[in-house]
Amino acid sequence: MYGELGNKLVIHAKRTQALSQLPPYQTDIVRAVTREVRDLNQDINEITNSYEGDFNPSADPARACALLVHHLCVRRNKRCLLAYHRVRSEKIEQMCWNGMDIMEQVQAARVGEGEEESGGSSHALSPEEDEYARQYGDMLAAYKGQWTDIDLTGSLEPPKDLFIDVRVLKDAGEIQTEYGAITLSKNSQFFVRQGDVERLIKQGFLQKLN
Amino acid sequence: MDAMDISDILREFDAENAPSNSKDYEDLLKWWVNERAAPEILQYQDDLVERIMNRVRRQIEHIEDQTGNLDPRANFQLIIIQTELERVKFLIRSYLRTRIAKIDKHALHILSTPTLRHLLSPSEQTYLKTHQALLNELYLSSFLKNFPENLRRLDDSAGGISMVEEPDLDSAVFLRVVRDVDIEIAWEGGETVPMRAGDVYVIRYSAVKEAVKKGEVELI
Repeated sequence: MYGELGNKLVIHAKRTQALSQLPPYQTDIVRAVTREVRDLNQDINEITNSYEGDFNPSADPARACALLVHHLCVRRNKRCLLAYHRVRSEKIEQMCWNGMDIMEQVQAARVGEGEEESGGSSHALSPEEDEYARQYGDMLAAYKGQWTDIDLTGSLEPPKDLFIDVRVLKDAGEIQTEYGAITLSKNSQFFVRQGDVERLIKQGFLQKLN
Repeated sequence: MDAMDISDILREFDAENAPSNSKDYEDLLKWWVNERAAPEILQYQDDLVERIMNRVRRQIEHIEDQTGNLDPRANFQLIIIQTELERVKFLIRSYLRTRIAKIDKHALHILSTPTLRHLLSPSEQTYLKTHQALLNELYLSSFLKNFPENLRRLDDSAGGISMVEEPDLDSAVFLRVVRDVDIEIAWEGGETVPMRAGDVYVIRYSAVKEAVKKGEVELI
């Protein structure tokens, strides 16, 4: 049925919005929808060409209606595709801002889903999205580079305390602070300056305690 | 210790010793709130941000110089300075991020309107252009390249829906009047509302757009 696949894409997009990780790219559906668009467009061209220029909609309402329906389907499919890709690209951008390693995320998603699908042959990102993620990351780094003192990707919560309690969730090695080096080993707890560990909290190495 | 207590002390300190500094800080606060509350992108506060950034850099240097100091009094002072510094840094960060969020949201609208484009700082303009080029490339290589030529555009308005998202200038905003001003309401007959300093209104953004830019009212 016309537009059914497009609908699937939108449902996928909707689902993606609520997920913390990016689900695998639906290569097959995207390809099928694109093919549908091409086929429909071919039909449109055949219909219009058969009239050789002087087409009068009121003389042949059935044909006119077919044209209109074809055309609307094409447009709708385009919208569905755009929506799907935009939602995913926004997710990718968000990951870049959060300083997450995209490749690591992909790996994690694969491990998570691999248990059910056995093998993990599905790629979370399409090659085009991979490229996009890389370039967006570069661009973000360039913009951020002008604001090194501010750390643009830092927390958007208003700071309350200079120092906070953190618990170490994963071994994070040694970090340098103005009061000397601290070794962050798993399950230990520290009272540190928020600015020093912001990044590690975001990456999930540390947990902030109240 | 409650965080609010510290900011009270700092405010007194600021008011006594450095009036121009605290003016800048208040301005930053004001433009940050304006930017967050206004539906459209506002003029980038180039000079203001530059002045504050200079001060931030000086404070960072000062902190680095003083870090070795073991005198407890200096140490306490340092903590206050650092807390204040974190706050200012947060303000600027949030200000810039708010702008980036708006730029991303209304990218094509801003790109196609020269007057809006000039409100951006040079690096924001670069960001906007590069980002749109990247997105375009993503769409094109993912599926648009297989589309018929006449359907590849990303900014047409056929079918009744424009593809370019614009800010809703008629959304309601809360504001406080800074200076007495008469606001013309776009109503049949062009009604005017006299606004007195200190008054608080809820009004359509489009009616007070100019007043916000001139600083006659501030959004809250």
